[in-house]
Amino acid sequence: MSVYLLHGLRPWLFQRLSAIYILLFSVYIGYSFAAAGGINYGLWREWLFDPPKTIAVGLFVIALLIHAWVGIRDVILDYVHNTLIRVVAFTVVMLTLIASGLWSAKILLISVVI
Amino acid sequence: MKFSVYRYNPEVDKKPYMQEYELREIQPGLMLLGALLQIKDTIDETLSFRRSCGEGVCGSDGMNINGINGLACITPVAGLKQPVQIRPLPGLPVVRDLIVDMEQFYQNYRDVKPYLIVDDPMPEVELPQTPEQRDRLDGLYECILCACCSTQCPSFWWNPDKYLGPAALLQASRFIEDSRDQATEDRLAALEGPFKLFRCHSIMNCVQVCPKGLNPTKAINDIKKKMVKRAL
Repeated sequence: MSVYLLHGLRPWLFQRLSAIYILLFSVYIGYSFAAAGGINYGLWREWLFDPPKTIAVGLFVIALLIHAWVGIRDVILDYVHNTLIRVVAFTVVMLTLIASGLWSAKILLISVVI
Repeated sequence: MKFSVYRYNPEVDKKPYMQEYELREIQPGLMLLGALLQIKDTIDETLSFRRSCGEGVCGSDGMNINGINGLACITPVAGLKQPVQIRPLPGLPVVRDLIVDMEQFYQNYRDVKPYLIVDDPMPEVELPQTPEQRDRLDGLYECILCACCSTQCPSFWWNPDKYLGPAALLQASRFIEDSRDQATEDRLAALEGPFKLFRCHSIMNCVQVCPKGLNPTKAINDIKKKMVKRAL
């Protein structure tokens, strides 16, 4: 498993960079919802229809998936010592994250098409 | 004053157990090592522990005192919660009572090549440093390898054979920062990978317990910064 999927420095760095983006995005989206007086369907559609915002949401999903991967990978590396169980755990997490990513992509693409 | 001390002699005992001792008279300013010696001299000569200099320089008497690692010789007994729970350093195999097998710890220390590596021909006399270059080693070279930090680190407990631990990484940093060392590139490359350095999650237990007041977490973060610079 290519040294536990991409070695040490890269995942660590991606974890930090994705954290920064997640933080900035959360503050921004929280602020714009608050400024609009709360979340409503129209506002949510605007977030998905406006292309720059669609991209921002898409990047947020990617950042979240990367962040989740590195975090769970760290927990597995720390606590799971049996190679077989570790490989199974990595695979389950990976498949779940990929499925979540594809699902998010589908929602975002549909929002663009419609 | 009451003490509860971890006892285990693998030749006799099936399981470790805690033994209670009581010292009637406590001299003012008594250190925990003094109390242990008093117990050994007057109550129970079979109690085993390491000690040498008795003043926080050699690092022999690292032990777990009321749950926190420290050197018995510089820990005043006054102020310790009673009964004082004394256990061996966690995460290393117990040889007997408070004596642990430090082999894994030393193995990790050796792994970071804790010596100057110079490829150029050595000068006749010495390798000079500017005062500023020398200052960069402050906070790194003072480590006495007592193992208090590494054995208080959960990442070291879970993967002692793969994660180097704060003590060894502090020494890695000490030679990476050294202006005279010419193996910086190799040293940084050797620490890449998911385990050797990157099991550190900056929980700073090492900083909290270091009897010499050093900061291994900062040293580890400095190494990470150097690795990022090297990669870019």
